[in-house]
Amino acid sequence: MNTDTNPPHDEPDARGGTGPLGGTDAHGGSGPLGDTGPGGGTDARGDAGPLGGTCRDGGTRPRGGTGPSDDPRTRQGAGPRKAAAWHLDEEDLRAYERGELTPPLLWSADTHLAGCAECRARLAALADPVALDAAWQRLDAELDAPRPGLLEGLLVRLGMAGHTARLLAATPVLRRSWLLAVTAVLVMSAAAADTLRAPDSPTLFLALAPLLPLAGVALAYGPALDPTYEMAVVAPMHGFRLVLLRTVAVLAVGLGVNGLATLALPAYGLAALAWLLPALALTATGLALMPRLGPVLAPALTGGGWVVFLMVTVTTRHGDGPLPPFTAAGQGTAAAVAALATGLLFLLRNRFDSVTPAFTHHSHGSTL
Amino acid sequence: MTVTDTGIVTVSASGLTLRHGGTAVLDDVSLRLEEGITGLLGPNGAGKTSLLRVLATAVPADRGVFTALGHDPGTAPGRLALRRTLGYLPQNPGFHPDFTAFAFVDYVAILKELTDRAARHREVRRVLEEVGLGDVRGKRIKRLSGGMRQRVALAAALVGDPRLLVLDEPTAGLDPEQRMRFRDLITRAGQGRTVLLSTHQTEDVAMLCHRVIVLARGRVRFEGTPAELTARAAGRVWSSPERDPGARAGWRTATGAFRNVGDPPEGADLLEPTLEDGYLLTLDGAEATAR
Repeated sequence: MNTDTNPPHDEPDARGGTGPLGGTDAHGGSGPLGDTGPGGGTDARGDAGPLGGTCRDGGTRPRGGTGPSDDPRTRQGAGPRKAAAWHLDEEDLRAYERGELTPPLLWSADTHLAGCAECRARLAALADPVALDAAWQRLDAELDAPRPGLLEGLLVRLGMAGHTARLLAATPVLRRSWLLAVTAVLVMSAAAADTLRAPDSPTLFLALAPLLPLAGVALAYGPALDPTYEMAVVAPMHGFRLVLLRTVAVLAVGLGVNGLATLALPAYGLAALAWLLPALALTATGLALMPRLGPVLAPALTGGGWVVFLMVTVTTRHGDGPLPPFTAAGQGTAAAVAALATGLLFLLRNRFDSVTPAFTHHSHGSTL
Repeated sequence: MTVTDTGIVTVSASGLTLRHGGTAVLDDVSLRLEEGITGLLGPNGAGKTSLLRVLATAVPADRGVFTALGHDPGTAPGRLALRRTLGYLPQNPGFHPDFTAFAFVDYVAILKELTDRAARHREVRRVLEEVGLGDVRGKRIKRLSGGMRQRVALAAALVGDPRLLVLDEPTAGLDPEQRMRFRDLITRAGQGRTVLLSTHQTEDVAMLCHRVIVLARGRVRFEGTPAELTARAAGRVWSSPERDPGARAGWRTATGAFRNVGDPPEGADLLEPTLEDGYLLTLDGAEATAR
């Protein structure tokens, strides 16, 4: 190969030898000249062969009886045709080594090198040993690289940076088992609400749904379910960033699952969405209390407070209307709480930078 | 950083105090670390893990200050700068068990802000080779032995080529062969770095460390070289056919005679002291102070 306007492989080869890209290769076998090979037919990628179709100069490669190359640089001597009877010329090898060879010539060189030990050896001799070693290491490291799971792959396809997707995919709470458990609870609560046929709102569903994102966020960060918590805390990545990343991920999943459950309650219309603002309020409050109370106690108290509050409103309400948190006024209050807690959370962001009191306490008891 | 007779001071702490539930787990701890490996010796409950957590910036001290590698972790920028050059191996390192060794170290590398995929993968591969796990890098962690898991954790601490390594009892729970191998790894890791290694095994210190700190009841009881700690027991170790009631500590040796540590009686058959003798006498002094 070279970069002439008329590639040498398009010229007749009186010797009847095989050209650099038209003969023996790892895929096409050792066919006679003009046979369909990587240069004459379909290449390894299943596309039109790089040299068998339209050439770079727009011409068409001659077939049948025309030798692929008469360029002296590529002529390695005539003789009986055998595996790798021709070889890549020096200039092309150098371009290949420098990474400057472009498709389709690159593909052809790839294909030939795969089947020709001699050219591989010449290439290795040309290459800077340090660069070659680095290239092998890069390749090996890529082969070692963990295959992205379903979630990670999806996040990357959605445009998220690979390293961020990995951080999210390692969130324990996003694991399948947890999702299944959450879904089961929601299905049950939605079914219960549907069965009870409450007149104005699916109270049981609305009471349970806000707790799920809260629980998810609590489990997504902190020592409870993150085995690498202590390593993560002392890493330069800001703890608050990790919290936010995982919160957003868990909220997206939790709210999504809740949303699907809401769709299962069409009879209630928008009233079935009254869980959303309380869910945001509870999650933000639980997070804001976390630096002070720890990742277990903070959401537990927040969730417990929500349950107690609902029980009080159930016992004191008059009539059959929705419970106060699910009325317009209640929704406004929930929005205000969510905003306040989010502000507080922002103010306390640096407190996520060291291990929580609960973790220190636990560890003192067991490891000192 | 200052230079002393023995080396470059890279970490300097003064008056570190950490209280928990009314108890001082660290009580006015002052120390300095130099480039090379320093052993932190102490019995269970001495406050070793608390001290390491403070120095690793996992927990802020209630009182006191320290600087490490020229950074002040009392400030947010200083803490971030220190964390960028810190490797921490916790006492009970946790793993995502379904991760492979490579994936786990890769995950920690991301936490350490190595975001360029190719460069990160090269670095992960390098540290796994360094701890001798190149061949099993694709294996899931749950299929690795305890010693191998500990090496995975060390690789995670080493990723990013930190200048300060804080290792909390890295040899605990390892069998003798694994322990020797791990000591070799730590020796290599200590070249050109500052390493603080907590242990309650004096052999670790004797084999690895050029300096040693003894911590008991939250206070520093000794700071110096292993030879200086050993020298504390000079003339205070003797042999006797039966346990000497005046000894602070004594135990029967393989020869059947008792090795006693404390204040020997006149004419006692004095023995060459070891690091362990010096350590025991230092702890005994700490207990006497507490009493």
